[in-house]
Amino acid sequence: MDAFLTSRIISDVLEGLTNGVIYGLVALSLVLIWRSTGILNFAQGAMPMFATYIGMVVFAHKLNFWFLAAIAIVAGFAVGGITERVLVRHLYGKPELNPIVVMVGFLIVLEGVAAAIWSTTPRGLPSPFSPIDWHLGGQPFALSPFAVYEIVTALIVMTLVACLFRFTKLGLQLRASAIAPEVSRLLGVRVGRMLTLGWILATGVGTIVAVLVSSNFFTGLTPQVMDGIFAFGFIAAAVGGLDSPVGAIVAGVSMGIILQFVGDFLNSNAIIVTALIILIISLMIRPNGLFAKSTARRV
Amino acid sequence: MRRLTDKRLALTATCLIVGVIIIALSATTVRVGAVLALMLVVGIAGISTVTTKRLRKAHPVLTRAAVTLLVLDASLFATYFFSSITNFNLAIGAAMSIVLLGLSFLTGASGQISLGNSAFMGVGALAVAIWANHHASTPIFVTLIIAIASGAVVGLLLGLPATRLRGPYLAGMTLAFAVAFPSIVNSFSSWTGGDAGLQLPTAVSAPRWLSSIFGSHASLLTLNTVWITDITIVVTGVAFFFMANLFASRTGRAMRLVRDNDVAAELAGVSLPRARVIAFMVSSGYAALGGALWTLINNSVSPPTYSLALSITILSLVVIGGIGTLPGALIGGVIYAYSTNVISWFTAHTGINSQGNLASQLPGIIFGGLLIVTMLFAPMGIVGAARRLWAKRRLRTVA
Amino acid sequence: MIEVEELSVSYGAVQALRDVSFLAETGKITAVLGANGAGKTTLLRTISGLKESVKGNITFDDHSLIHKKPENIARLGVGHVPEGRGVISEFTVEENLRLGAMMAKVDLAAGLDEQYAQFPVLGERRKQHAAKLSGGERQMLAMARALIAQPSVLLLDEPSLGLAPLVTAQLMHTIHDLCASKGLTVILVEQNASTALRISDHAVILYLGRVVANDVATNVIADENLRQYYLGMVE
Repeated sequence: MDAFLTSRIISDVLEGLTNGVIYGLVALSLVLIWRSTGILNFAQGAMPMFATYIGMVVFAHKLNFWFLAAIAIVAGFAVGGITERVLVRHLYGKPELNPIVVMVGFLIVLEGVAAAIWSTTPRGLPSPFSPIDWHLGGQPFALSPFAVYEIVTALIVMTLVACLFRFTKLGLQLRASAIAPEVSRLLGVRVGRMLTLGWILATGVGTIVAVLVSSNFFTGLTPQVMDGIFAFGFIAAAVGGLDSPVGAIVAGVSMGIILQFVGDFLNSNAIIVTALIILIISLMIRPNGLFAKSTARRV
Repeated sequence: MRRLTDKRLALTATCLIVGVIIIALSATTVRVGAVLALMLVVGIAGISTVTTKRLRKAHPVLTRAAVTLLVLDASLFATYFFSSITNFNLAIGAAMSIVLLGLSFLTGASGQISLGNSAFMGVGALAVAIWANHHASTPIFVTLIIAIASGAVVGLLLGLPATRLRGPYLAGMTLAFAVAFPSIVNSFSSWTGGDAGLQLPTAVSAPRWLSSIFGSHASLLTLNTVWITDITIVVTGVAFFFMANLFASRTGRAMRLVRDNDVAAELAGVSLPRARVIAFMVSSGYAALGGALWTLINNSVSPPTYSLALSITILSLVVIGGIGTLPGALIGGVIYAYSTNVISWFTAHTGINSQGNLASQLPGIIFGGLLIVTMLFAPMGIVGAARRLWAKRRLRTVA
Repeated sequence: MIEVEELSVSYGAVQALRDVSFLAETGKITAVLGANGAGKTTLLRTISGLKESVKGNITFDDHSLIHKKPENIARLGVGHVPEGRGVISEFTVEENLRLGAMMAKVDLAAGLDEQYAQFPVLGERRKQHAAKLSGGERQMLAMARALIAQPSVLLLDEPSLGLAPLVTAQLMHTIHDLCASKGLTVILVEQNASTALRISDHAVILYLGRVVANDVATNVIADENLRQYYLGMVE
């Protein structure tokens, strides 16, 4: 049994799962913003990164992980809310082009400012759990306490978000504001606040991801830390369907596992290329995403 | 009307005579004289075509050709007088303006966005280098066409799945492509030379008749630089001419319809995916052409140049110059060519430590900031804003 | 009670309403009639706050509705069933109703029961997605959704649109009964003038944004000129 669990296949599955939940969370936050405000936020990786730096700075002397994480998440809420109020407000109803361009610009500015203030050298963040893999019968088992912590956190966040949307009054209002803002207004829903809340939530989720990733011993925190993850997260969101939170998570996890195998059996260059190919094939076969219901367009 | 024609004739005749006298005085050889005379004739013909209103209205294609020839004429004439470094910058900027034009067309005419243009430039750049290393004697223009074709093919591969959908899929797809490009290059490093890139086996060298114009005192570097700059300018002129016609043609109008109201376009019989894919292929072909020219100008290709950061710079320049405008692409090219100079001037004069973090991040912050500000307050870019001011002025004088 | 005073509304250069004044009394149905483009929908949208930048005044009991946001006007007790009904197709019937009940301090369960009693069809289909409902059922859902919040004012924009005559007749009965039983102030915009006039107490006719008639319904029905020129009614 031990031999099986430490075998290459299982190792890849477990490592892929660990990466995959991260991609799934990023994809989820992208879907959140897309569904609530109709904007694809290209700065969805950079905003949490910035919030994490703020958390790190505020706790520069103490560097206790949990406090740092809490501050970072609160900063994430703030960054998300402020961005929506100041920047995104002006973009509703404009052609599709405008929000994308503005958010790409915002991404560059955030990374540039972060690098200017805190430089591009990776910062080590304290890790609450050991990243050393456990051993089973003398062989390394592809899970470490840190990996389990990542997976559990991700699952908790996903469940909370799902419950919020499905079962709460707030979730109903959020969904209504996204789908039918004018009608929602007529029913007394404060649509403006709901839109801001959507951004706050999504950035909060993103910051949880950023904190998880940055406290990984092997990566550390840099201004570019979320770039690659954003790319994979977007691909997962597109493959799963930009409208589907479930799709985002499933696609993210699956991609994590598949890409782990690719990286192991081929080489590291093939990983992003495979992701690209997955995206191309998925868009050709099921354009609206693997989990999307086909929707008619109102003419 | 008659008096006007007489005036015009007199003016043309005077210019001709003055021009011939100048040529006669300055031409050192018959060859030089012939070249200068040709330039003069083209110039005068261009000017008269452009200024004749009737001709402008009746034959728009001819007018565009005349404008193109006129601009080419002036630029080629100028390269003789510029220093090597200016010519180099001019060439780099001109090639970049081709890339910008392609993206401007994609975005302005069909409302789609691409973040992968630097990767497409890389495709064209590598195509030229790889081809030249295997077939050294192919004429330049054939190599350029090969580069354009490679760009268009890759564009088809990526564009076909992504353009069928409404939404930001093309943007994300091209982003993924830009992020994946370095890995793709490294995967085929035996062909592409990996991160180190490739050198051209023989530098692009000026033909002999050019050296006779300059006389024996001009160095090989100057000659070659002038030659490649001239080639780049001509190619740029052709690219712009083609694009100007495309904008105005039926295909261009169909694409604008797709951008503004795709349901109406479908009902009018425009094939949506086809129009979008064609627009994307045109833009990727143009980007590849720009990259190919860069390889020729630099005599080498260095894949790390074609990064995501460059893609975003390209996007910024298109937005700042003016989406969907020809002059906007030219302005963007000029800005690109001189941006490093401007930024170092800026850091020097504002006391920012030029070795520090802020200085190295400044280009990114400035471009990103400009992108946001332009898109929020002046989405039509410099050219768009200028056109609006012009229109307002004309209204005021008419009223 | 809703009082509209000298209301003028424009969309850019186009004047949609000019100096419109009338009174919609509590417990009565006021019909707003007129041809396409007369400004009827604009009028309702202005009352419920969807249209900004207007001149004039709109008073609801003691509140001025000008310069208020739509969500705040709705929370005052003004229910607007918009043009096209505005049923959220992606939600179920029950979710639509839950959304309607959200702002009001009403007991959700009691509210749902009341609406299902009033509109049994909705009760049968409560878990179905609203996309699957017929035109008449959607209209009922839209009205139930507005009613569940216990509004004092009901603005109805062409409720009979696209409905068969029999369904329309039933719908009009329902509106009349509800208005009477709950003492609502109802403003009913209709293109189908005869059906609307049958249940209305008061009628306002708009023509190109102006009020050309503002009278008790019976007088309007009796006036042949009005009927012919502005309402296109032959009989």
